[in-house]
Amino acid sequence: MSVPLHTLTSCFQGLIPATLYTCAADGTPNAAYLSHVEYVDDRHIALSFQFFNKSRRNVAENPRAVVRVVDPDTQQGWELRLRFTRSETAGPLFDRMALRIEAIASYCGMKGVFKLLAADVYEVVAVRKVPEEPGQPALVERRTPDAVFTMRALQDLSQRIDHADGLEPLIDAILQGLDDIFGFTHSSILLPGEQPGTLVTIATHGYAENGAGAEARFGEGIAGLVAEAMKPIRIAGLMRGMLYAYASHVRAKERGWCPPERRVSVPGLENPESQLGVPLVVRGELVGVLCIESEIPYRFHEDDRATIELLGSYLAIAIQNAVLRESRDDDTADEVVAAPPAATAAATRAARELTFYRSDECVLIDGEYLIRGLPAKVLWKLLSAHQAEGRTDFTNRELRLDKSLQLPAYKDNLETRLLLLRRRLEQKCPDIRLVPSGRGRFQLALAAPVALAERP
Amino acid sequence: MIDDALATFLQQGLGINLGTRDAALEPHAAYVPAARVEPGGTHLTVFVPAIGADEVLADLADNGQAAVVFARPEDDRACQVKGVFEAAAPAGEADRAFVEAQYAGFMHQLAIIGTAGEHLRAWTAWPCVAVRLRVTALFSQTPGPDAGAPLS
Repeated sequence: MSVPLHTLTSCFQGLIPATLYTCAADGTPNAAYLSHVEYVDDRHIALSFQFFNKSRRNVAENPRAVVRVVDPDTQQGWELRLRFTRSETAGPLFDRMALRIEAIASYCGMKGVFKLLAADVYEVVAVRKVPEEPGQPALVERRTPDAVFTMRALQDLSQRIDHADGLEPLIDAILQGLDDIFGFTHSSILLPGEQPGTLVTIATHGYAENGAGAEARFGEGIAGLVAEAMKPIRIAGLMRGMLYAYASHVRAKERGWCPPERRVSVPGLENPESQLGVPLVVRGELVGVLCIESEIPYRFHEDDRATIELLGSYLAIAIQNAVLRESRDDDTADEVVAAPPAATAAATRAARELTFYRSDECVLIDGEYLIRGLPAKVLWKLLSAHQAEGRTDFTNRELRLDKSLQLPAYKDNLETRLLLLRRRLEQKCPDIRLVPSGRGRFQLALAAPVALAERP
Repeated sequence: MIDDALATFLQQGLGINLGTRDAALEPHAAYVPAARVEPGGTHLTVFVPAIGADEVLADLADNGQAAVVFARPEDDRACQVKGVFEAAAPAGEADRAFVEAQYAGFMHQLAIIGTAGEHLRAWTAWPCVAVRLRVTALFSQTPGPDAGAPLS
């Protein structure tokens, strides 16, 4: 094969639809559009089998096929002459393709309906340029898109992370670094939630709202799918894929295959073109999920896959180390760093009304949902102590020892919950702030009076 | 065979591709910048850029079997026309405006889905060979469970 397939991976991202040509045993040709062509290795590609169709029946009878793809960078068309080799219904290739389809389907409320039945593997016996498209060679000279995940870029990110002192600066350094170094303007980090099988957004970058506290269930949306599969998801032609899925959805609905429409509302860009979900895993344990999205149809390189997994492991270790360091620091008496003065409640400002619902472990502020679970109980303890005793200084250690908070003895995730609470307050009630005042210490700063009420 | 509504859909400027096969049942393909449905809907002329027409014309001369797929990127509505080869001739200047108008329609479709760019202008749309087919069957190819079903 004169053109190595790995040099064409930009063509396999679904940005411009591919076409498939087959022929039945009786000599009837067939032409069809494809949602996605998957690069397997330098001699093979795979096509997704989602619905029984004529193309698939044809290759069962006659393995000869042609697929045409278009390079989204140059618009150069390429023709791949194929031989159908086998169908895979399990294994890494099937899992990778199924995950991509599930991710797109979850956007359209079609999870479980629109799914991969098999990954059909074809040997590529010849590759050539499509003759009719390069009419003006000056415009279609092959441009290699700039590599994004270079060692230099990873090194730059690593240096920023090394300088982060604590969990919160670390998380911010990761998301800011992804923007500054890689150009990923919109990103978020989700950590495992209190309930099994859930994720909670701990920090975001680039969105109008900080989104802290937004939850996702395992298996739903990009983050949930990444958490469930513990594998990265890269989708470059998301808009194309969604259109394709939506077209299927309309037909499936007409046939009564779909439950009533339930579009999963995933926080993020309205029309993302590219999405990347990276599991943050240490020794087989999910520490969190990094999500990146872009309105630009970014071209992922095949080599990026390994680099992204490496990046995920590195970030996971960094986050886990930061959590462990902060929880260890609670146990070692530390110097009290001069804290910024806690703001006193301005008498002129209207009181904020906070209500704690004990049975739901949920706090509402001025009648609107603020937070629930452990962060809610912590906030209530702090506000109650402030109201009863006028306290403003607190330590992580005293929270950890407080039996009323019912923290688990092992891996209580207190630091991440405090970060979540701090971010949620920034978004919903800047009048109440938790200001770090030293290792394992913080101050409760109130810029408005608070009125507390408890309900069963 | 092709009714007026379908003819309007097919001629609005879509992604169009022609598939043929040789005597050994090896498929060949050509990009089609424009297609014209004849009054009555029994015949279809597809315009194939001359630079990429050799293989499909050889196949059509050999066995006459053709499949033309049409897809609208905006909503992925797609259909396939099966046909039998009737004739081929260089498209005349009188056809050029027709071909370029449909091609521009397809560019507009690509702009809607966000993939149009200066490079798309590089695709060859002219000169073309006009390939006349007798329509033998129509199939839906919109993705989903009904893909491949005959169009009534």
